[in-house]
Amino acid sequence: MEQFIYYLKVSLKGIKRAPLPYALTIFILSVGLGVFFANATFYYQLNSDPLPQKSDKLFFPMLNLVPYQCTTDCRTPRVLSYSNVQKLSQSGIPTQAAAMYSADGYLRINATQPPLPVSIRITQRDFFSLFDVPLLHGSVWPDNSARQEVILTKTSAENLFGRTDVVGEKLLLDDRHVTISAVLDSWQMLPRLYDANNHNHLSDADDIYLPLETGYDMNYLSNSQSSTFDDTDYRQLSTQGRTGALHQLQYWVQLDTAAQQQAYRQFMHNLVQDEKAAGRHPSEPNNQLIAMRDIVSYFGGESSDIKAFALVTLLFLLVCLFNASHLSLNRYLSNQYEFGLRRALGASRSQLQLQMLADVLLMALFTIGGALLTGYAGIKLMTELLPANRLFADWDLTLLIALLLLAVICSYLVTLYPSLRASFGTLNQQLKE
Amino acid sequence: MSLYLLFKGLLSRKVVTILLLLQLAMTLALLLNSVLLAQQTHKQLNQPTGMDLDNIVLVQLKPTTASLRVYPALEELLNRQLNAVSALPDVVAAAYANQSALLQGGNNGNVYLDGEEGRTNQPSVPMYFVSKEFFRVLDSQVLQGELPQHSVSLDNPVRPDVVITQSLAKQLFADKSAIGQQLNRGRLAAVISDFYGQRSGDNVMYNSIQVAPPYGVDWGYSILLRVTPGRAGAVRQQLDQVLRQVEPNIEIFHIRTLAEQHQRLYRNEYGLAMLLTILSALMLLVTMVSSYSSTHFHALKRQQEIGIKRALGASKNSIFIELLSENWLCTLVGALFGVVLALLLNQALAQVISIPSLNGYLPVMTIMALLLCVTLATWYPAAIATRISPASATKAL
Repeated sequence: MEQFIYYLKVSLKGIKRAPLPYALTIFILSVGLGVFFANATFYYQLNSDPLPQKSDKLFFPMLNLVPYQCTTDCRTPRVLSYSNVQKLSQSGIPTQAAAMYSADGYLRINATQPPLPVSIRITQRDFFSLFDVPLLHGSVWPDNSARQEVILTKTSAENLFGRTDVVGEKLLLDDRHVTISAVLDSWQMLPRLYDANNHNHLSDADDIYLPLETGYDMNYLSNSQSSTFDDTDYRQLSTQGRTGALHQLQYWVQLDTAAQQQAYRQFMHNLVQDEKAAGRHPSEPNNQLIAMRDIVSYFGGESSDIKAFALVTLLFLLVCLFNASHLSLNRYLSNQYEFGLRRALGASRSQLQLQMLADVLLMALFTIGGALLTGYAGIKLMTELLPANRLFADWDLTLLIALLLLAVICSYLVTLYPSLRASFGTLNQQLKE
Repeated sequence: MSLYLLFKGLLSRKVVTILLLLQLAMTLALLLNSVLLAQQTHKQLNQPTGMDLDNIVLVQLKPTTASLRVYPALEELLNRQLNAVSALPDVVAAAYANQSALLQGGNNGNVYLDGEEGRTNQPSVPMYFVSKEFFRVLDSQVLQGELPQHSVSLDNPVRPDVVITQSLAKQLFADKSAIGQQLNRGRLAAVISDFYGQRSGDNVMYNSIQVAPPYGVDWGYSILLRVTPGRAGAVRQQLDQVLRQVEPNIEIFHIRTLAEQHQRLYRNEYGLAMLLTILSALMLLVTMVSSYSSTHFHALKRQQEIGIKRALGASKNSIFIELLSENWLCTLVGALFGVVLALLLNQALAQVISIPSLNGYLPVMTIMALLLCVTLATWYPAAIATRISPASATKAL
């Protein structure tokens, strides 16, 4: 330990002797790592799996059940009609299944209060178990039938009532009376893969949850995508919306085994063939069963700006590494005489390498500090310039450990060649210089 | 000063030179692609929109009570709001619309000639349901036909007449007269000058407009105002209060000029171009530090050599030029590699974002900028090196 402290003291003396080249090396390395780390934060968070324990079991089925013969764009619609979902729900194969869409509304306790704008997830009972949504108070609807009941998030309950235990309380949702049946615990699924259409996976969780049948009865239109493929009047959602080709629903199924997945594919195939035979859709079948982990790339929703910037920041980190190595080499070559003198006085090459490790440790410490500061500033700047990704700016332990490791590796690489060259040169030549 | 000797000098310190060349090449590659992206964003932001963006104010709003979102209460609310904002000083014209121009996506659908869907269908054409002053707000020029003068309900058995923009008319009818033709949305009444509709559409200038109250306002609606030039700021300050006085049960999402709306439409491209510009500036800074340090260190190492040259009659100027020339040579060699690297980076970036290809003059301009930065960085250490006196440098011999 005493020896190690001695090595650290020697390193510090070396820094004090020529502080500017050392500071420049640290600065360049910190900036390179900080910029890389800022972008890596977004890249890591955007590509993380929010449900690692079951994301390979959740699937998004899509059918080309539309009442027209496609000529140019024959892609399967991204959203389903109410009748499509009814047909897909009849298989009995999935362990759990839930249809959903989102809408905007206004909530208040009574008519005298100012309305609170809310995002409503209109869905079915299995939504909460499919996506492991935690409940704080109350219970989820017992079935999928229409009921004037809502489930509130913890934040919405606190905003409205100032407390969370509000099960049984009455509310006005767009001037209609509803009762609170449950309150969710703090929950944020990021990225929000259950709604990946139109880049919605980058959005915050919804404020309240309403049964699907009630949403149709109350005539809520999707605020994300709503397409009509026939003469359905979308103002008549509760009637025509249930029978016509008004597509706005997303549907998720849980298929735990390969056999279940195969059976569901076969079911979809048979369903489409039967519908085609009955003359209810003229287009060629084009069924899709997309796994949750592939849903963002299927919808083309990957953040291309973050990907492009990742390539560039990697390049920048390389430039900074080369630059820092260059500065470091100059610094070590300037100190070559000192290395030669120490070797002449009996220090072995391995002892000089231990000295080098002390240098690496100090450099890594300074670099980590600088990189964290630069990374933090970089994240703030990126949030400002690319606000769509603002929810993905958090650091977690894995990321921090990765940064520490990367900083140590970079410091080691920057110091390795110069110190080897300084300590492995010819002793005579070193002393002569 | 011989080019051969300059190369020899660089090769005598291979590792340092290679590191420097790599940095310079990567810096140039990034710089070139950042400039390309910045140029593209600038071009997008300056493309013609067919509207006087600075003098049109957009209000996006929605009634907060369900009863105000259905007819006839909705139509009465729309008219009250229009009357109130039209009475404001400096408001030249005001109109409501189911949606604004300059959007990413929105309310859109197919447009085709009746009975010729297969041949003439144009998908994803924005559908505007507006009050009749809409055309005055946009200052649209009527190129064919006459604008509809009365609002007709979309539920009317005879559908309201349709107005389309010039680009869409050209696509549907080529150079033939279009007026009176029957489209799937109604009879064509007029063709107006182009304006920027939705970015996600096949052609941003394709638009179809009907003078009719919107079907519904579940997604909110827009009030658009043309104001006296230079008075947009003053008008927008009053809008919130005026609209809430007319009807307090509304949510106003935003009040902004169409210039701001346009900027927001390209916010991602702007953000990425800004980030790359900042990164390029950092890269140039890093390269300057590198050039400075390299020149400074090697001038120190070559004190004796410089002293001898000075003793043999070399002027301060020639020493100064020699040191700068070494850096210029290094920069030019690095830049050549950089152009190749820039092409590769350009292709890699094109896989994930929309970026134009490299053109002829840009690499030359960027190399000049890089040379300027390197010259600035090496100026001071090169000037210091010229102060080495022949006597002090040769005394060690």
